[in-house]
Amino acid sequence: MTKTRQIALPTACIAVLIVTALSLDSLGLSGDGIQPRWAGDFLEVAAPKLHFLTGQQLDRLRNGAAVPFDFQLTLSAGPGTPLHRALERFVVSYDLWEERFSVVRLRNFRRSAMHLTATAAETWCLENIAIPAYSVPSDRPLWLKLEIRSAESKPAAPIADEGGVSLATLIELFSHPTRNTQGHWESQAGPFRLDDLRRQ
Amino acid sequence: MAARFFLVPASLPRHTCASWAHFPGTPASVEPATYAMALSMLNCPGMKLFPLFVCLAAASWVWADVPEGLPESAPEATGTNVNSRYTVESISLSPNGGYRLSGPVAAEIEQLVGERLNVEALNRLSRRITQELKARSVTFRVARGQQPAHVRVTFEVEKKETNFDVSLSKLMYDSELGWSGTAQVAATFGDNVLTFAGLSNADDSVDRYSGIRARFDRLHLADGRLRLGVEFDAFRDQFDNATLSVLSNKNDSSLGAGAFRSRLNVEPSATFVLALPLTFTIGFSFESLQSSLLAGTNESANALTSALRYHEQWRDADENIQDVDAAYTLRAATKALGSGAAYTKHAAHLRYTYRHQRELVEVALKAGVIYGQAPLFERFVLGNTSTLRGWNKDDLDPLGGNRIADASVTYGYRIMRVFYDTGSVWDRGKSADDKQSLGAGVTSGFGMFGKDALLLAVAFPIRQGRVVPVFIAGMNF
Repeated sequence: MTKTRQIALPTACIAVLIVTALSLDSLGLSGDGIQPRWAGDFLEVAAPKLHFLTGQQLDRLRNGAAVPFDFQLTLSAGPGTPLHRALERFVVSYDLWEERFSVVRLRNFRRSAMHLTATAAETWCLENIAIPAYSVPSDRPLWLKLEIRSAESKPAAPIADEGGVSLATLIELFSHPTRNTQGHWESQAGPFRLDDLRRQ
Repeated sequence: MAARFFLVPASLPRHTCASWAHFPGTPASVEPATYAMALSMLNCPGMKLFPLFVCLAAASWVWADVPEGLPESAPEATGTNVNSRYTVESISLSPNGGYRLSGPVAAEIEQLVGERLNVEALNRLSRRITQELKARSVTFRVARGQQPAHVRVTFEVEKKETNFDVSLSKLMYDSELGWSGTAQVAATFGDNVLTFAGLSNADDSVDRYSGIRARFDRLHLADGRLRLGVEFDAFRDQFDNATLSVLSNKNDSSLGAGAFRSRLNVEPSATFVLALPLTFTIGFSFESLQSSLLAGTNESANALTSALRYHEQWRDADENIQDVDAAYTLRAATKALGSGAAYTKHAAHLRYTYRHQRELVEVALKAGVIYGQAPLFERFVLGNTSTLRGWNKDDLDPLGGNRIADASVTYGYRIMRVFYDTGSVWDRGKSADDKQSLGAGVTSGFGMFGKDALLLAVAFPIRQGRVVPVFIAGMNF
C-alpha cells in the first residue's frame, strides 16, 4: 500500500502540473499571454508574443488588400461579471512599394500610422485600444481578455461606412462565433490587482 | 469628414474613444460611440476634460460637414488602404482563358486603368465579373507595377467545374398569336456548354413550330478566338388555316416547299472572333422537311450559313449608355449540298439604344431579301410581338414574303414605353404595302424580372375601319 502511494503521488503531481500548464496556456496566462499596464487612467495591454499579421492575413496584405481586424478588450471581475469593454476596428494594409504596414483606427477619432514593420503595426493596434479603470477597485482580483478577429476574405459588408464603424456593429460581430474563414486570436491575463500594476 | 483629423489635438488621450462601460441592461444596439466616450469621460477623475471634449466634438461635427475649400488629409490617411495612392497600371484576368466580358464591364476596366487604386470599385467590378462569367468566385490581388508608384491588378477567376442553369429563357404572349416560349437547361463543363431546350413558337415564323433543341458549344479555342458548336433541332410544325387555305389555292413559284409536318435540322458552325465585339460565324444547316401530305415526299433544305455580328455598349461618365446590336446573316441553299430547293436569304438588323438617366430611345431597323425558292419556315414575317406590333402576321401575309423592311422607334421614361412600328413584307415583283402601328406599355424596372426583361403593352394597328387592340406580354424577348 505504501509502495503504491509512493508511485501514485509523483504521477498525480506530474498530471496536475501538465493540466495546470495546459490550462494556463489555454487561458493565455503563459509566457505568450497579454500583460496589462497602466496608461494614464486607462488599462492597455502589451502582447509581445502575440502576432496576428501572419498566415492568410499576411498573404492578403501582401496581395494589396486592406484587412480589417476587430479587437475586443474585456475587463472582468470573474467569469460572467464583465466590468468594462473596449471595442475597436483597425484596418491594416501593406504598402507594396515601401514594404511597410499602415494601420487606420476606424472608431471615433480616427487615427492612422504608416511606415511600420509588422511588429510595430501590431503594437500600434494594442496601444490604441484601452479600458478606463479609474472606477475599478484597485484591490479586487481582475481578469483582462483580448480577442482579435480578422474580417473574412470575402467581405459581405464594406470595411466601414463614412462614419467609420459603429460600436453596435462590433458588438454584433463579437456576439457571433468565429467562422472558419476568419483569423482568431485570444489571450487572457489574470487574476491581477490594479494595485500590483506599476504606473507608467 | 476629412477635416476631423485636424481637430484632434495630439494631447488628447489616445484612448478616450475606444471604451464602453458595460452596464447590465444597456441596449447595445442603441449605444452610440459618442455616448460611450462621454460616459468614459464622466467617470473619469479628470472630468475637467469634459467641456473640452464637448467643444472638440461639436467643432469636429461642424467642420466635418464643410465639403470643400479646406485642405484635405493625405490620401493614405483618409483611405483605409495605403495603396490607394498608387496608380493602376494594368488590369488583367487570371488564368488567361480568353474571357468574354460585356462592353460595360470592359469599359469599367478601362476606366480604372490610369486612375488611383480604388478598392471599392474593384470590389464592385469583381462582383460583376463573377456574374458575367458565372464563376465560383473572382478575387483580385494587387502587385507592384513596372513603373514607380504604379500597381498591377489581377482578377483571379475561380471557375465552377460544372454549372447547371435551368431557365425559362423566353416567354411571349400575343392575344392574336397565343403563347410562345422556350425553357432550357444549360450545363457547363469547363469550356463545354450543353444546352437542351423545349420550345413552342408561333411568333417569328409562318408556322408554329414546337419541339426540342439540343446544342453543344466548345468555347475558347485558339486562345479564345474560335468557338465551335453543333445544334440539333426536331420540330413539329402547325400552320394556320389561313396559311393552308392560301397554300392550297396558290401555285407560287417562289415557294420552295409546301406545308410540312415536321423538320429535323443539324447545324454545325464555327464562330471566329475577328476583333471584339465583331464575330463571324460560318456553318452548314442540313434540314429535312417531312411533308404534311401522306403521299408527299420529304424535302431537304441544306444551306451554307454565315453571320456577321457586332454588339457593343458604351457608357460615359454621365452614365449615358449607348448600345448597338447589328447583324447580317446569309443562308445559301444549293443543289450542291443536296438541297431540294435552291435559294439565298439575306437578312440584316440594327438596333440602337440610347439611355440618358430615366429616358430611353431605341431605334430598330430590319431588312431582308430572299432569292430563289425558300421553304415556308425561311420566309419573312411581320406582325408579331417584336415587329409591327398590333398586326397579325397571318392577316398581313399568311405565307410570309421574300422581301421585308421594318423600322421601329421606342421612347421610354422610367418604366413607361411608347412605340411606333412601320414595315412591309411582300413578294418579289409586287409592291410593298406599308403598315404602321402604335402602342404603349410598361416594362419591368428591377426586381425578379430584371431591368427591361418584361414588357406588358397594348398595340393598335393604324388602319381604316375597326381597330382591335392587341395585348402583348413578353419576357426576355
